[in-house]
Amino acid sequence: MNPALSAVAASLDVSERITPDRVHGSLYTDPDVFDAELQRIFHRGWSFVGHESEVPGVGDWVSRRVGRDPVLLVRTRAGEVTVLANRCAHRGVQLCTGSSGTNGSFSCMFHGWTYALTGELRAVPQPIGQGTAAAELALDRPRAVDRYRGFVFANPSGGAGPLAEHLGVGGRELLDWAADLSPTGELDLSAGWLGQRSPSNWKMWAESDNDGYHLGRLHASLWRVAPGTQYESAALAGEERVVSTCRDRGNGHIELEFWKGYDKDLAWLGTGREKVADYVAALTAARGAERAEELLWKGPPHALIFPNLFLGEMNLAIIEPVSAGQTIHHHTPLLLGGVSPGFNTRVLRQSEAAMGPAGFLLPDDATASERMQVAFAGTGGWMDLSRGLQREVFEGTDRVGHVSDETVNRGFWRHYRAVMTP
Amino acid sequence: MSSPARSALPDGALHQLDPLLLDAAVAAFLNRESRLADESRYEEWLALWTDDIHYWVPSGAGNYDRDRRISFINDNRNRLTTRIRQLQTGLRYAQTPVSPMRRVVSNIELLSVGADELEVGSNFVLYELSLQASNELRIWAGRSTHVLHRRDSELAMSRKVVELVNASQPLPNMAFLL
Repeated sequence: MNPALSAVAASLDVSERITPDRVHGSLYTDPDVFDAELQRIFHRGWSFVGHESEVPGVGDWVSRRVGRDPVLLVRTRAGEVTVLANRCAHRGVQLCTGSSGTNGSFSCMFHGWTYALTGELRAVPQPIGQGTAAAELALDRPRAVDRYRGFVFANPSGGAGPLAEHLGVGGRELLDWAADLSPTGELDLSAGWLGQRSPSNWKMWAESDNDGYHLGRLHASLWRVAPGTQYESAALAGEERVVSTCRDRGNGHIELEFWKGYDKDLAWLGTGREKVADYVAALTAARGAERAEELLWKGPPHALIFPNLFLGEMNLAIIEPVSAGQTIHHHTPLLLGGVSPGFNTRVLRQSEAAMGPAGFLLPDDATASERMQVAFAGTGGWMDLSRGLQREVFEGTDRVGHVSDETVNRGFWRHYRAVMTP
Repeated sequence: MSSPARSALPDGALHQLDPLLLDAAVAAFLNRESRLADESRYEEWLALWTDDIHYWVPSGAGNYDRDRRISFINDNRNRLTTRIRQLQTGLRYAQTPVSPMRRVVSNIELLSVGADELEVGSNFVLYELSLQASNELRIWAGRSTHVLHRRDSELAMSRKVVELVNASQPLPNMAFLL
């Protein structure tokens, strides 16, 4: 139990605010709910921290948060990737500022305590007076850190069970899919992250990133000036013509399967096969014709890995909870290893168009979420999430609906309700 | 009473003009550009650009390879035109209604002057009222670097780089003209 957690948050029961088809808006605005989420979702469960390709060299680090706790994703001298608290074990001063860097060790600016890249305390100035032995002190770290296909996750409490279990078959398939797009199986998240700061709740971003219903309305301004995108057949052509689906993969992992509605291969890249012949050849050589053709049609996944990783087609996003009413949505283009620089530059340009605070899509999503935050600010009120309840079907353990259906919202909230049980 | 001719340039190479006249013309251009942006007068603002353009809001100092690192805005003519047309649909909810804005441009310095083009640096502070949802008053600040060209008796811009003071940080919606 986190001693900082308020007594109210510790015993809070939200189960009555989530029914099979309705969710109460106070879950977006209640500070006690937010505190309980930090404890039950981000401390007691697994969340995404970063990708191994972000720290390619020894001593490379990037700054992240696990829940609200500042951490460093670090490449050690042994070549391992680890997660350390960005907080001196002495008096709690933040060790590294900025978003990334390269260090031989971490030295505190206050009294000079110095840590190895693995977090062990290596040097204490004026050591004769030191009380607790340096060997017994180290940077805090999450009790469990694990990785899958280069994606690094942390579970601070260590009690969440194996990462593979949290990801499940569905989550692992989604991460495999993203990594398999690279002919070498490697991602290259080196283009930097842009952050969008929004006065709205983090769960709205998890939901709106994976909402297949809003595209035609909220983003109408873009389709009007940029016709011919893959979303026309995949989402905009009308409810009865669109064959795309959405999928609740369990454990809160939810997906929009736009690819089912594409009208040609490589639609997701906005170019023809002949323009990326090198990529087609390399992918075919690496994966075999059958898997390569599948990937060339489907492109990247569009999915949430619960709670904070958005596989946003050729972008990755991290949803950072700041407070009940503040969120930062960080994204970086999903650059691939083993492709030409021109291929990755194309991905970068697409990312700049769609994402971020000046992109053609995301500012409108932010505005919708911010208006929800405003509208729920008082006593709240209920949201209706019943869309598609009558037509969703099971495929194995997955629930599948029309791409516009709220099967995905219900999947998110079903898992949320389960993990939020005190 | 007639309004004074704006930024009217005498004939001749830019670097051979009276420096006071040139300073005045550049300042008038920047003031006018700021006002059109503040008032979301998209068509008139777009008309200030030459054909082959670059409008850049980097994520940090503007000294990196744009093909390797992501930017907030990195527009050529085609993308900037799309950006403006999107705003003009009336359905760009992130700017519906448009944000009331006022910016102050100052510290104007000519950085280089050639026969046909010049580079000018300036600082700005911008107050934006985010009317779309939160009604927050947001403060934006940074440095702009413009490349200006003679176009008949006026100036036009081919490049504008806006380095925000907080360009390395997460930013709120920025769907207006910087």
